[in-house]
Amino acid sequence: MGNPMPSPPITSVTRQLSRRSVFEALLHRSPISRADLAKVTCLSKQTMSEVIDALEQQGLVRPVGRSSGNVGRTAVLYELSPDGGHVLGIDLGARRLTVALADIAGRVVAEADEPTDSRGGAWALDQIARLSDRLARDNHTHPSRIRSIVMATPGVVNPKSGAIEMAPNITGLDHLNVVGLLGEKLGSPVVLENDINLALLGEIWHGCAQNVNNVAFLALGSGVGLGLYINGRLVRGENGAAGEIGYLPIGGDPLQAECRLQGCLEYQVGATGVVRRYREAGGSEVDSERQVFERAQAGDAIAADVVDETARLTALAAATVVATVDPQLLVLGGSVGARPDFADKVARVLLQLSARPVEIRTSTLGRRAGVAGALSVALRRLHDEVFGVAEFAALPLPPPAQRSVSQ
Amino acid sequence: MTCDTAYCFAADLGGTKLAAAIADARGSVVAELTEPTDPRGAAYVAEQIAACADKLAKTAGIEVRRAQHVMVGIPGAIDPRTGRVSLIPNIAGLEDFDILGFLRGRFGPDVAIENDVNLAMLGEHALGCASRCRNAAFLSLGTGTGLGLLIDDKLFRGARGSAGEIADLPIGMDPTSQIPSASGTFELEVGSTAIVDRYRRQGGTAAATVRDIFRLLEQGDEVAASVLDTTARWVALAVVTLQSLLDLELIVFGGSIGVRPELYERVRRALPALFSRPITIAPSRLGDRAGLIGAAWAAGQALRQNSEPAQ
Repeated sequence: MGNPMPSPPITSVTRQLSRRSVFEALLHRSPISRADLAKVTCLSKQTMSEVIDALEQQGLVRPVGRSSGNVGRTAVLYELSPDGGHVLGIDLGARRLTVALADIAGRVVAEADEPTDSRGGAWALDQIARLSDRLARDNHTHPSRIRSIVMATPGVVNPKSGAIEMAPNITGLDHLNVVGLLGEKLGSPVVLENDINLALLGEIWHGCAQNVNNVAFLALGSGVGLGLYINGRLVRGENGAAGEIGYLPIGGDPLQAECRLQGCLEYQVGATGVVRRYREAGGSEVDSERQVFERAQAGDAIAADVVDETARLTALAAATVVATVDPQLLVLGGSVGARPDFADKVARVLLQLSARPVEIRTSTLGRRAGVAGALSVALRRLHDEVFGVAEFAALPLPPPAQRSVSQ
Repeated sequence: MTCDTAYCFAADLGGTKLAAAIADARGSVVAELTEPTDPRGAAYVAEQIAACADKLAKTAGIEVRRAQHVMVGIPGAIDPRTGRVSLIPNIAGLEDFDILGFLRGRFGPDVAIENDVNLAMLGEHALGCASRCRNAAFLSLGTGTGLGLLIDDKLFRGARGSAGEIADLPIGMDPTSQIPSASGTFELEVGSTAIVDRYRRQGGTAAATVRDIFRLLEQGDEVAASVLDTTARWVALAVVTLQSLLDLELIVFGGSIGVRPELYERVRRALPALFSRPITIAPSRLGDRAGLIGAAWAAGQALRQNSEPAQ
């Protein structure tokens, strides 16, 4: 070996930047050879070899076969190793609990859901822990490998007490330190975020709002809520209560007790509101708002009126969003909001109300939007922990479907 | 070029009056004037703005070309992609007039236009009652209605520059039950014309303007009190709407009607019954100068940013 040229000292930031760009290339282009990695990252072959060796030793990268088809020698192909760490996304809904496990590359390795324990509170937290453990165990993932957990919840997380407030559809969460208790049960810190904000981030990750910078997500299901994504950031408001549109003074007298408690709009268009209005209008017994919608489609005139009124009130809420926030795209989501027949009605009324028509799309991820958003945030946090560089924005996530899963 | 020798020119164009100022690089006003807006429409108004700069330069004893940054507040929405202005009902022809092009022709390249209520929000954020806020709104109530939004410490304009164009907020008479008109429902309830009409409908006498109604209120006129109660209730519902959507720290009340304590105190009293969490509202500290001060501050900021590399 001759004397190598003295190379400039490699600072830790430079090294981290190299690791980060290799990781990003692997995230988007796996499986890929060292030579191709060097090409897309503009790193020297020498640096590339050092980085790949180091990542391989850390268990973040693994060889996954050899290239074929090209003239000449074949090259080893690499991909992100599933052993690099896992993330857990949880969506605690009033009616359904969904948990999904993904590896560091964003591959969803397992997902499960069940009806939320209707007793709420500590029972719901136990249920989350049980389902998460089962998912990890069934996939031979030791809990210590789960390095980032994000949970979607209705309402607003109080940053001081760790409790979930303004979530009238799940009982008993407003007096518990949910952040603390769940962190203990799962053995790892849990980040809580409003379910609609996360559903919105899910749609931005790989749903109907990809590459849009100003999006309003209006969700209607058990409850009603709004997520705002403005200039590439979630809008949370001063106390995290932005988008709590259940309290919009629409659909009733805001001085009424029910309105103050539950919020005017939610009292009318939330699931219980739809069922109540159907009953009050003389409709026969129904279990859920879904049945009211089904009956409307089957020709029940009372149900059709209730659905029309629900669409009208939802359009009024959407009109306040359009006038105030001027989004580029309005996404309708939630179990009711994403129904195409319902969305059409809302769009028609909104057109009458607003001088500035806004593009409307329905959620494409549907019930999975919340858990997808939770995974996307959990992944970004993990990537940031491993490859983060101060002042750098989080790495862009490729949609999970684009990735090849090798066995 | 140093900050001491460079100045900026700021104007706040309204439907009835035009305010203009020359300010130094810190955004402090050196000379200021107000005159009625030329009623003949856009081209005349544009000339009037340029003439104001000349007058002010003379007053301040400087050459007008030393006004190196220009910021003009416009009572309408400005599309950030095209620069087109829209939603301007009270200045004839302004929507089809290239105001930015005209001003650049007169003052050079460093000219910007901004929605007037956005500038008022900036003014209150820089030098008024919202100086410590990261999330706030400036609610302007006068001839028309408007809203400037500060979200996470930044002005928020919306995808097409029409965030805060709250004239057609569906607050007021049920907007789905009637044919939509050119102007919107909220403004139809609380704009100055609506207030005067309401006063007449309720049998009030001798009020031609909202100012008259405030004067009659002082004299104990019961109809005036009732009209303001109704108006305040609609405004309170708009405040509740903003708070539900954006969870703000402060909503500043401005505009000729918004700053009147007879109105905002009524709104303040109405709020606790309408919303379960506290909402903070306050009258504009800069009053009818908020837009002009905000324009001067924004122009000064642009000037400072431009001159930094040279120093």
